[in-house]
Amino acid sequence: MTATANTACIPVLPRGVRLHHDRVRKVEVLLGPERTLMLDGIGHAILSELDGRRSMATISGDLAARFGAPVDQVSRDVETFLTDLADKRLVDMIDG
Amino acid sequence: MAWTTPIAVEIN
Repeated sequence: MTATANTACIPVLPRGVRLHHDRVRKVEVLLGPERTLMLDGIGHAILSELDGRRSMATISGDLAARFGAPVDQVSRDVETFLTDLADKRLVDMIDG
Repeated sequence: MAWTTPIAVEIN
């Protein structure tokens, strides 16, 4: 079931959406039905963490530790980024 | 790599 985004939600890539390395442009992209989004390194790092088990809050904490960045900043960025992709139906939010 | 605001740009 898709939920309204909050940090307890578990974000997951829906069926038909996947990460892909575009060898021509030499960038990571998110491939969805009839649309492609080019990702920067941080965007790719976030989407690589979506395993269908961890909540947005847990993923943010893990990324903050990995990048040595403030948790509140990472949490804000992750929530904004994933909510925007959820609005485009490129990420599903599952009730945690 | 340092943390920066994540970016996703649609390729039309």
